[in-house]
Amino acid sequence: MSAMANEALAYVDALHNLARHLTGNQEDAEDLVQETYARAFRAERQFTPGTNLKAWLFRILRNTFVSSYRRRRRDPTVGGLDPLDAESAGALDQAWLRNDVELDRLRKVVAEEIEAALMTLSEDARTVILLDLEGLNELEVSEVLGCPVGTVKSRLSRARAALRLKLRDYAR
Amino acid sequence: MDCADVRLNLRDHRQGRLGAAGEDELRAHLSACPHCAHVAAAEEELTEALERRLPQYPASFALKRRLAAQWPGASSPRAWWRSWRPAPIAALALAALVLVTVPVVYYERRDAGAARSMVAEAVNDHLRVLSSQRPLEIESGGLHQVKPWFEGRLDFAPVVTFEGDADFPLKGGAVGYFFDRKAAVFVYTRRLHPISLIVFRADGLSWPAVESGVSAKDERGFAVMIWRRGALGYALVSDIDGRELASLAAKFLAPAR
Repeated sequence: MSAMANEALAYVDALHNLARHLTGNQEDAEDLVQETYARAFRAERQFTPGTNLKAWLFRILRNTFVSSYRRRRRDPTVGGLDPLDAESAGALDQAWLRNDVELDRLRKVVAEEIEAALMTLSEDARTVILLDLEGLNELEVSEVLGCPVGTVKSRLSRARAALRLKLRDYAR
Repeated sequence: MDCADVRLNLRDHRQGRLGAAGEDELRAHLSACPHCAHVAAAEEELTEALERRLPQYPASFALKRRLAAQWPGASSPRAWWRSWRPAPIAALALAALVLVTVPVVYYERRDAGAARSMVAEAVNDHLRVLSSQRPLEIESGGLHQVKPWFEGRLDFAPVVTFEGDADFPLKGGAVGYFFDRKAAVFVYTRRLHPISLIVFRADGLSWPAVESGVSAKDERGFAVMIWRRGALGYALVSDIDGRELASLAAKFLAPAR
């Protein structure tokens, strides 16, 4: 097996994790990852050795999801809600962070609540949050999403603010 | 740095991506602005919750095994028909293939692009069918049962005459895709090796130059044969030896009795 194959396959857990959070179920996540690697196989010669293979694979996965899976999906609600704009998030932050009790609640949310809140966000918001958690820097995330670095920064900030507000509903 | 700037840079701050000057400015703002300090504290809690409590979904071992088997083993695999030395029986089978059906096995540089993309697509379709939850949508009770099952599921009628035999039993069928079109996938086996015969509309695809010729190639460890008969295209894919696949191809290409 080639060195590139070994490196590519080392990212399968991270790719599957994103796929699972995008599709919302195991079966579709496996299909999405499988198709991602199939496309990567076909486009292997387009990859420039020495550049970021992980970001390249994430980009293929996201594009595959957008072009294929999302179009086929039957449930229109899975896409989730759009994250709030910064101004609205800021205003809501004031209410949410009025005292330390609210912070305490945020500390006590459990795994299922965090996941449920995350799944209410839009796919783009989920993607940027998860790529950031995965350790990709803003430049790498911008390569995955195909947008400027500055846009990544603002998208991430809005997405996380929206998630905090969603978590408020669960942390009671 | 105002409140909006601080909110935008909190993640960089936590990850140490702000420069020294930026850090100083942000810290100064946080110490003077209780509201931003609250937001910063909430961001810390959110990160803690996500990193420690958000469920993680690593790939299953089965998926990892499938992917490892699919990635090309070598950067430029040699075509199997260029390297193998035919055994007498296999040579006869191949001679029969040539004499009975006329198509010529060829591979020319000018057709390499078209052939390569079709071969890659055929292998991917073969893998897609095998890796799906239910590889066979119709279990075989014979070709007379499998072929009618495709009616209403495709916009063409697949023409397949070989019903399977003891060497290559027909196991069933499924609807697949070949590039942009639906395809009928007939699954045969050779011992424990699945073999996909993918039948699809031939129009609008970039075919190698010789009409009704057979393109044969190996791809990622799979032997592939592709040919065209009238309005339909055929791709035969398996991980069995290329000579065995050629002997099966001869059965499909033989004139109907």
